[in-house]
Amino acid sequence: MADLLQEIEAQIAGAKATTAKQNVGIIREIGDGVARIEGLDDVMLNEMIDLGHGITGLALNLDETEVGVIILGDYTQLHEEDEVRATGKLLQVPVGKGLLGRVVNTLGEPVDGKGPIKSEVAYPVEKVAPGIIRRSPVRQPVQTGIMAIDAMIPIGRGQRELIIGDRSTGKTTICIDTIISQARLNKEAEAAGDKDYRPLYCIYVSIGQKQSNIAQIITVLEKADAMRYTIVLASPASDSAANQYLAPFAGAAMGEWFMDHGMDALIIYDDLSKHAVAYRQISLVLKRPSGREAYPGDVFYLHSRLLERAARVGEKYGNGSLTALPIIETKAGDVSAYIPTNVISITDGQIYLETDLFYQGVRPAISVGLSVSRVGSAAQLKAMKQVAGQLKGDLAQFREMAAFAQFGSELDPKTQAQIDRGKRIIELFKQPQYSPIPAEVQIAVIGVVQQGYVDDVPVDRVKDFQARLTEFLTTRKTELLRKIAQEKALSEALTAELKAAADQFKQTWK
Amino acid sequence: MKTSRQIKREAKRLFRSCLVNGMLDEGRTRQVVQRVIDGKRRGGVALLSHIQRLVKLDCARHSAEVESAMPLPADLRERIQAGLTRIYGPGISASFAHNPELIGGMRIKVGSDVYDGSVRARLAALQKGF
Repeated sequence: MADLLQEIEAQIAGAKATTAKQNVGIIREIGDGVARIEGLDDVMLNEMIDLGHGITGLALNLDETEVGVIILGDYTQLHEEDEVRATGKLLQVPVGKGLLGRVVNTLGEPVDGKGPIKSEVAYPVEKVAPGIIRRSPVRQPVQTGIMAIDAMIPIGRGQRELIIGDRSTGKTTICIDTIISQARLNKEAEAAGDKDYRPLYCIYVSIGQKQSNIAQIITVLEKADAMRYTIVLASPASDSAANQYLAPFAGAAMGEWFMDHGMDALIIYDDLSKHAVAYRQISLVLKRPSGREAYPGDVFYLHSRLLERAARVGEKYGNGSLTALPIIETKAGDVSAYIPTNVISITDGQIYLETDLFYQGVRPAISVGLSVSRVGSAAQLKAMKQVAGQLKGDLAQFREMAAFAQFGSELDPKTQAQIDRGKRIIELFKQPQYSPIPAEVQIAVIGVVQQGYVDDVPVDRVKDFQARLTEFLTTRKTELLRKIAQEKALSEALTAELKAAADQFKQTWK
Repeated sequence: MKTSRQIKREAKRLFRSCLVNGMLDEGRTRQVVQRVIDGKRRGGVALLSHIQRLVKLDCARHSAEVESAMPLPADLRERIQAGLTRIYGPGISASFAHNPELIGGMRIKVGSDVYDGSVRARLAALQKGF
């Protein structure tokens, strides 16, 4: 009761403040999620406008006689001749650890029915990316748990790696696997009380996806107990174009909070193709001039300013990082279309998923030839670099020779060996959904393969060999795996130990 | 055929020609409007509606609507007029209206700027705060 009285007194004291100048306007035209407002002389670009009925808008078009405002809310409640006022504030979203484990919408409001969000800080949705001096090179790895990526196309903390492919090729699956893998690592480090380990928090921004898909993803994450390190920002296809347009920026603001406070975060934009489409819709309704494929002229800037906000900041500024995994959907494998080429030129590499590989049974359907990581082995564990350094080259040679193999003609032994090894490596990199592999197991398995222990195993039994080997190592050679995980590099002794373990396993293998 | 952008530019040009010392001159405005009507040009109606919009906005910027809960005495009105002239310059004209819905205090609207010191506004702010 006393608290209530104090609160009322504080409110009345606050209301006694002097009258401030307000900027108002009248809605002249409203439709398609956009309102044209006459007046609002002093409004700034991207300023929040209070449209009444608890609805806010964003001033995007400042014309001579009117202001174009996109409506973030239920626009059916607004009418012509309604008075609106400028708030003098930029759009902000709540940020902080209170959002972990929650599902929110573009404005940071909870949609999972688990009560209000506890957040003291709000970050602006549009913010300038960290400057050149603030940044530092990418050195720490992101363990995605997917062998093909961690071995050949490694991703580092602070990098932007594009995941590009046709529909249903496994783009979202790679991202969910990464989240699950990171959650597992976070939990292990927490349980072991490891103070040196830096947990990686994940933000999954869903733009224009089906709500059933989003629900399924949340279920998968909950089952893997990954939700407590994850924020899900959902802007499904039923959301207005304005909300879909702002969703990635709101997610980036949440990620920036982690980066500014010395923590590491990973943000997934699923997907930016739909984001560009939503922005195109808004621009066309605002009567902005359109360019190629009817996209507005600044569609490149739309994605570049978003992706530049992902960075690794230097020691002096907290040593935090924000890694971005944008997803782009291509049509018929055309990576030379407008939006895909834009985003490819912005990101630090791409993971290219092919439909052909997918239907051949190579899942994840990663095209090793076309995928690249411009950060590369700088962000790889030394042990992984030692065992996997040759792999990309080996596979490139295999692809070249594979054409000969189709002729069925007699090949010299060296070529035949290359082809055999290549087939087995491809078989090795097939991995089921939602089952990330820990780094030390990956290193051990690849090390065993590179030593030639798989060369006499039939191709269709390679997966079986791998499964049995993994079981063997995790149950009988836990000490070896622990040492690899600890030292992160393969010394002579460790290599010898691994070889001995492989010999032991091979003896029992039939 | 003139596009709407060209018509807007033309309207802006004609509007600027109606200004004398930065203030809208009634005589000139009437002349310009009459010329456009007499000219019978294509797009003339659109041109006139643009000019009308610009004139309307300019008038709104230079006129102040003062609403008060109670009728104001003459000296207070003079003080308000002087204050507005000080902030907005000499061309401002104030109109006074009586609006009991404000409950108390007054509300001044000049173009897009609103100074709302009425009791109604403060109650609304309190309600929003809670």
